[in-house]
Amino acid sequence: MNDLLLIRKNLFRKKLRAILMLFSILIAFLIFGVLAGFERAFNAGEDVAAADRLMVVNKINFTQPLPIAYVNRVRALPGVRQVTHFNWFGGYYQEPKNFLIVMAVEPESYLQVYQDQIDIAAGARQAFSRERTGVLVGESMLKKWGWKVGDRVPIMSNIFTQKNGSRTWDFTIVGTFVARKPSVDTNFMVLQYEYFNETQNLGRDLIGWMALNTASPSDNDGVAKAIDQMFANSFYETSTDTEKAFNKAFAAQLGNIALIVALVVGAALATILMIVGNTMVMAVRERTREIGVLKTLGFSGGRILRLILGEAVLLALLGGLPGIVLAALFAAAMETSVGNFIPGFAVTPGIALKAILLMLGFGLATGLIPAIAAMRLKIATALGRS
Amino acid sequence: MRPFFLQVAAVTLINLKSIPRRFWLSLSTVVAVALVVVVLLSFLAMANGFQHTLTSSGADDVAIILRGGSQAEINSTVSREQVRLVEEGPGIARGPDGKPLASAELYLVVDGLKRSSQTKANLPLRGIGKDGAAVRKGIKIVEGRMFNPGANEIVVGRALLREFQGLEIGQTVGFATSRWTVVGVFEANGSVFESEIWADLPVVQSLFNRNNIFQTVRVRLQSATALEALQRYVEADPRLKLDVKSEAAYFAEQASQTSDLIHKLGWPLSITMALGALAGALNTMYSSVAARAVEIATLRAIGFGGTPAFIGTLVESLLLAGLGGMIGTIATSLVFDGFSASTLGASFTQVVFSFTLSPALIGQAVLLALAVGLAGGLLPAVRAARMPIVAGLSSS
Repeated sequence: MNDLLLIRKNLFRKKLRAILMLFSILIAFLIFGVLAGFERAFNAGEDVAAADRLMVVNKINFTQPLPIAYVNRVRALPGVRQVTHFNWFGGYYQEPKNFLIVMAVEPESYLQVYQDQIDIAAGARQAFSRERTGVLVGESMLKKWGWKVGDRVPIMSNIFTQKNGSRTWDFTIVGTFVARKPSVDTNFMVLQYEYFNETQNLGRDLIGWMALNTASPSDNDGVAKAIDQMFANSFYETSTDTEKAFNKAFAAQLGNIALIVALVVGAALATILMIVGNTMVMAVRERTREIGVLKTLGFSGGRILRLILGEAVLLALLGGLPGIVLAALFAAAMETSVGNFIPGFAVTPGIALKAILLMLGFGLATGLIPAIAAMRLKIATALGRS
Repeated sequence: MRPFFLQVAAVTLINLKSIPRRFWLSLSTVVAVALVVVVLLSFLAMANGFQHTLTSSGADDVAIILRGGSQAEINSTVSREQVRLVEEGPGIARGPDGKPLASAELYLVVDGLKRSSQTKANLPLRGIGKDGAAVRKGIKIVEGRMFNPGANEIVVGRALLREFQGLEIGQTVGFATSRWTVVGVFEANGSVFESEIWADLPVVQSLFNRNNIFQTVRVRLQSATALEALQRYVEADPRLKLDVKSEAAYFAEQASQTSDLIHKLGWPLSITMALGALAGALNTMYSSVAARAVEIATLRAIGFGGTPAFIGTLVESLLLAGLGGMIGTIATSLVFDGFSASTLGASFTQVVFSFTLSPALIGQAVLLALAVGLAGGLLPAVRAARMPIVAGLSSS
């Protein structure tokens, strides 16, 4: 009889008790997996950010505009490789609740700056530059609304109106693009800035913000300083930051999600730590006589310790692994329905690895007290106890 | 019947008196249930606090007028001509000077530094006219003074001050090329306005290059029922492509989005955690029944019925869960009740709010705790009631 068999037999000696413990561990790791996936999706902006990309926004706030003339002045600075600009369109489809991410961009420079994130066919790229009313729609947005390339889609804006008073723009979908990395979300559409600028009635020749690539990440600080200095004391002062810092600050505006996740996961793990830990103590105490017998048979204290720790770790893994698998399935099922809200919601290998380490730690923590007690148990006491 | 109740009372008492023998296991059930209650109550208090802040902002007898389809103040634009026409509309209350109580406003977003994360966040800067404070109820300067017309001065909401730094009285802040001095702090009954910065409208218009542009108009109505007349008036005029809503309706809409989301996260999480706690409770109660097998069998042998054993076990379970619920409630009210936080609201600016517990929320949490106790006690109680006497007596 090897030790593993002994461990397994011991664990399932009382089936109901083992199943209840497995279930509670499963629940805790399900919560861990789902919340960790949620948090990662929430902070995906930080992962997506390119190391050499800077964002230039109005110093007052990124919702305040900048003049289009700034783009060429930034482009001329040393250390700036490519620069492009955006306007937030405030788009929705049919009803306000069908909120869409729609931005007006300059086609060529946009596709250049963001080629690390999105992949687009040459034909679509040309069509987007050529067609004034053309839009590019990301793969996941196409799928979500059941559109296809060639469709004409009426998009409404809750900010802008056309000169004729209409709030609806009729766009033609001239192409689509896909993500180059899984963490990039393609649930958005881009339209031509030139067309947007000519047809809308609010403030001509203004842009929302700029994005640029530096020659190398080591130029970031110098370029950012040079840009902000160039526009200091003008009516439109700028604030330049790395894309990573910008995305991080934006995510932080919603609240301290990381703290909430840590507290809930902490509560879930503390709960089962109490339950499983106490049950293990009780289960080992019930076996006092047997342990005495094992010791009489020549099992060393260390081997007894390993047997009980092994039992606790096995319990944690048997409960925790299905919990993580369940969390991954849940995230995969939710991805399509909540993708608009939290893109990239998934249980990644990194999260799974962290979960397994937690399970090992959890098993050792719940097994340690009874294991040490059993190791130190004297045969006479063990056999004497009824 | 009397002997039956005596039996129940006796068995229940034996159950409860034996809890110390399973102290740690029983404690783990109590703690598990308490943690479930803490998680649930924190989410509910968060949603409730947010909702409370927004709904207390809206008055029934104040109408807010936005550009048609703009949904939020930040997206709206209203021209001077439209402001004038709205002010001529019916049902608007009049101030002491006989003029309509109306406030055309500008709503801009500026950066502020969040204390907790030290990151930039969107704060609303509202340019208000001379009737801006009078249109709203309960606005009170609690420190310093109101801004002077024509000056680069701002007053900040009390809640905003709690979460964001650099806006204390006497400090100056720069927006574009202009410097502004903080001259006062105002309260607004804990409403969303306390998350705002206010300044004189013409100064904001000129320093932000928005001359003659407004974003919203707020008017004080003669009564809540006057809203309809104003809506009809605006609808009838082709120059007014505007939405007219009661301020209460406007904020209720915004509140429901965020608080619904918090509920949708909080309830499933708590119920999942409750299932984990339920497994713990079952475990504890089965152990309780197993530990008292001899007792139960002995009682049965001397003529006690099965029902008292059933009820005794169930009461023990409910008591442990109820205790957990109570501890969880007390812990939440000590740690999280009144906890201040801020998030991005529907107007794309920070809304500062406080976690707010209420008896109704506590009721829901205690019910969840008792449900865990009931479900966790039921099956073990059945086992206790059905335990065969001979097996029980020989089980030591």
